[in-house]
Amino acid sequence: MNREELFTIANNWFKSQGWKPFPFQTQTWTAFLQGKNGLLNAPTGSGKTYALWLPIILNYIKENPNYKTKHNTGLKAIWITPLRSLSVEIKQAAERVLNDLDIPMTVGIRTGDTSSAERAKQKGKMPDLLITTPESLQLLLASKGYANTFKNCSSIVIDEWHELLGTKRGVQIELALSRLKTIAKNLRIWGISATIGNLQQAQEVLLGVDSEAFNNSVLIKAVIHKKIKVVSIIPEKMDTYPWRGHMGLHLIDEAAKIIKSSKTTLIFTNVRSACEIWYQRLLEKYPEFAGEMAMHHGSIDRETRLWVENAIRNEELKVVVCTSSLDLGVDFAPVESIIQVGGPKGVARFMQRAGRSGHQPGKESVIYFLATHAIELIEASALKKAVENSVIEDRVPYLNSWDVLVQYLNTLAVSDGFYPNEIYKEIQGTFSYQTITSENWNWILNFITQGSQSLHAYDEFKKVEIDENGCYKINSRMIAMHHRMQIGTIVGDAVMNVKFLSGGYIGTIEEWFISKLKPGDTFIFAGKKLELFKIRNMQVLVKKASPKKESKIASWMGGRLALSSQMSELLRKELYRANTDNLSPELKALHPLFQRQRKESIVPSSDEFLIETFKTREGYHAIFYPFEGRFVHEALASLLAFRISLLQSITFSLAYNDYGFELLSDQEIDIEAVLDNNLFSTEYVHHDLQKSLNSTEMARRKFRDIAVISGLVFTGFPGKMVKTKHLQSGSQLLFEVFRDFEPDNLLLHQAYRETFEHQLEEGRLILALERIANQSIIWKQCVKPTPFSFPIITDRLREKLSSETLAERIQKMTASYLK
Amino acid sequence: MKIQILNETFTLHPSGAVFWEDQNILIISDVHLGKVSHFRKHGIAIPQNAVAENFKRLTDVIEHFCPEKVIFLGDLFHSAKNTEWNLFENWVTKCKSQLILVAGNHDIIDEKHYHQIGISVLQVIEIGNFLFTHHPTEKENLFNFSGHIHPGITLRGLGMQSLKLRCFFHKSNQMILPAFGEFTGKFILRPETDHIVYAIAGNEVVLINRKET
Repeated sequence: MNREELFTIANNWFKSQGWKPFPFQTQTWTAFLQGKNGLLNAPTGSGKTYALWLPIILNYIKENPNYKTKHNTGLKAIWITPLRSLSVEIKQAAERVLNDLDIPMTVGIRTGDTSSAERAKQKGKMPDLLITTPESLQLLLASKGYANTFKNCSSIVIDEWHELLGTKRGVQIELALSRLKTIAKNLRIWGISATIGNLQQAQEVLLGVDSEAFNNSVLIKAVIHKKIKVVSIIPEKMDTYPWRGHMGLHLIDEAAKIIKSSKTTLIFTNVRSACEIWYQRLLEKYPEFAGEMAMHHGSIDRETRLWVENAIRNEELKVVVCTSSLDLGVDFAPVESIIQVGGPKGVARFMQRAGRSGHQPGKESVIYFLATHAIELIEASALKKAVENSVIEDRVPYLNSWDVLVQYLNTLAVSDGFYPNEIYKEIQGTFSYQTITSENWNWILNFITQGSQSLHAYDEFKKVEIDENGCYKINSRMIAMHHRMQIGTIVGDAVMNVKFLSGGYIGTIEEWFISKLKPGDTFIFAGKKLELFKIRNMQVLVKKASPKKESKIASWMGGRLALSSQMSELLRKELYRANTDNLSPELKALHPLFQRQRKESIVPSSDEFLIETFKTREGYHAIFYPFEGRFVHEALASLLAFRISLLQSITFSLAYNDYGFELLSDQEIDIEAVLDNNLFSTEYVHHDLQKSLNSTEMARRKFRDIAVISGLVFTGFPGKMVKTKHLQSGSQLLFEVFRDFEPDNLLLHQAYRETFEHQLEEGRLILALERIANQSIIWKQCVKPTPFSFPIITDRLREKLSSETLAERIQKMTASYLK
Repeated sequence: MKIQILNETFTLHPSGAVFWEDQNILIISDVHLGKVSHFRKHGIAIPQNAVAENFKRLTDVIEHFCPEKVIFLGDLFHSAKNTEWNLFENWVTKCKSQLILVAGNHDIIDEKHYHQIGISVLQVIEIGNFLFTHHPTEKENLFNFSGHIHPGITLRGLGMQSLKLRCFFHKSNQMILPAFGEFTGKFILRPETDHIVYAIAGNEVVLINRKET
């Protein structure tokens, strides 16, 4: 069948649905059928799924003209989705086409939720089209004879590639693709991405630097202009607006008004605990919403989440409180309004959320911004500007993630084993490992085979073994089992399943939260008041608590989001406008706050850099306001604290938010000395940052994930706690052991590198210092905390930096004794 | 740091050991030898040099006090016998003091192996008014030395400062020793009014200031 005939099939199918293909869809079909790889840039809800399912099916028709009578079994296409909750939708979309066109292809799902019986069945006979997650794809590579499974696979689609790109799961995909390219000779690779700043790079990362696949690829952009309207929720009286606070509950009545006037409203919160609280408070204050409201976040049971998603589609719900778990995926046509609680911290995320509403063609998307504290309103007016000017952030891919590579090599060793020369060539072709050296490679090989760089007598280290043919294999069944259990745990704290005593799964909760509770304590989770009965085999057994009992709200660590550099620039510009007559409604609303700020201090203009100092009963505070976003402030605070600590023997605790940072000490900080000694200098920045103790603390935290991914920390498996208890250790302890006894360890180095590249963002830091150098420094000695300083000084999550000795510090400290 | 308990003098050493001067006995708890090797045997690549460190620290503290006897308050070995046992055997032959083990929950190696290298294994030891056990134990008229818990303490100070340190935990008739071993964690305790806490700060042992809450 030629392309014209194939296109007729596709066009007719679209017609039968009452649709007309968009240009980007036909462009994708053409490129795919030409045998090209590519990246499709299309937003959610644009028909991107059919842009790629159709050519996959058309290609099958082309290659099997007798498809109706004679069906060739075996895996033909893989569809990767970052969220397993999306897999059902994708399956339905594919099956719709197959049924209508009467094509005997099968579609299967394989994720962490797939039963082992189903998985075993798939192993015997793979579906033609497989929908799976990055982790499950890795697990397939960990099964014996995997090459046979994939050899006739002709296409792989990575959906929502932008979500994976800046993560280690993205690196997992890069590695899996490097292998699949070799074993599936006719593989087409396609990615689908929402708009990000670095689309071209996204394409390169997906297909490999300078690779054959990249040279034979296209970038297709869906041009769909959608109007987005941003409305800030501003109360009539500003005096009641809190200076800090991260819930925004004082505006609950305003939110309720919006809910009542729209068909369906989604309320997005940044963290799961805020989601729980909003749900609870709405229900308490507006009991009439009961039965028409629901909650959706990543820790809630999948069944419940699916039910919520369907209920939205069927217009059964008036309001859903959710987190980023509803950012992605399918369309919810009935959604009319979106409320964003708290700063979304990034333009891309905000636009994506805005796009969840008003799906009917021609309709504009409305998003309400609910600032949780006063200064956040500046963010709202900055976001408006961002939406107007379509400023979009980059997603920065990870480089040389040795932990993921160690995991991947163990994966290959668990299945059929691997030959280093072959695999080395493949990984050199990936974006992530393009600069790997043979020394790095040998180090990794030694690490997985000997657990160190030199052979010692008396050592029983056993993981990957080399057979007489030079094949690297894991032979121990127990080690293989441990490894399979560990794949997939690429992020996140240890989580435990929450279940009713009477049976019935509710969701997952982080271990650290549960560890603070005693049996009999009550907590709110998934909108329910629960009483902790006991913890057994990694399961949290609960019963319904009496409604009167006081309870804690479940919380999750979850990373705090930081402002992107694009957002912080917009924010600064917006703030500097406060001293002009050109005020946005948000800035006007902030007038009372600015007045208070000016009484004690100033609102800085673009050529001014503000430092405030004051004393409270907590100690001596010095607050600096670069307005550069949390990550840059974290680095700046460490740098400055370190430089001051060279001038005087002193201990600091550091706090930061998106607007500024604080150095807090038990002794007065000599700001004169800071200014006289030019402590904002860009010289020796890297050196000073490395020396500052704080970077060690940050690296220690980064090391946690690295230790889990590379298999150094065994997270254990449910129901088998006792046997593995002897193998559990904290990553903190590991970090210290490595630092003290194996300072050249590549995984340890990686922790520091990630700290500097992904956390401290040295590049942005230097730009910030250069900017400060051109501003005049205004030092205000205040009598009491200013409105600007308030959200920072009340932050309890702090870092430390000290140049005093341990004994000196202990002398000034106390332990609290129970009476 | 020297302290008096029931008119006897004890030295609290920053390694986590306690030296009983009048009896010339060194008390050490929770060394967890073999832990690193146990992990490595199961494919978890913890640096091997950490193994040698435990033995070095043991040697250092014993050479410092030159005790007649060393009492280990349990969890001397973390796991079943592995290659570290050979290193331990070696170390024992060079050690001039008499070694006694009060068995702990991790000590699953058969007693006869200890006997072969001249170490006696007991469940409890009573010397005068003092009782030595692995788990903290209350017994009338006796002062108890124990381990097991790996005690730690949180300190707070002005400027939102905080520190977590290993410590000796002194109750009215009990002293819980910190874990001696490298690569062992700590468990943070909350002291009560009649407790005394000595924290290990690098090379010093420091009496902790108290703040009643």
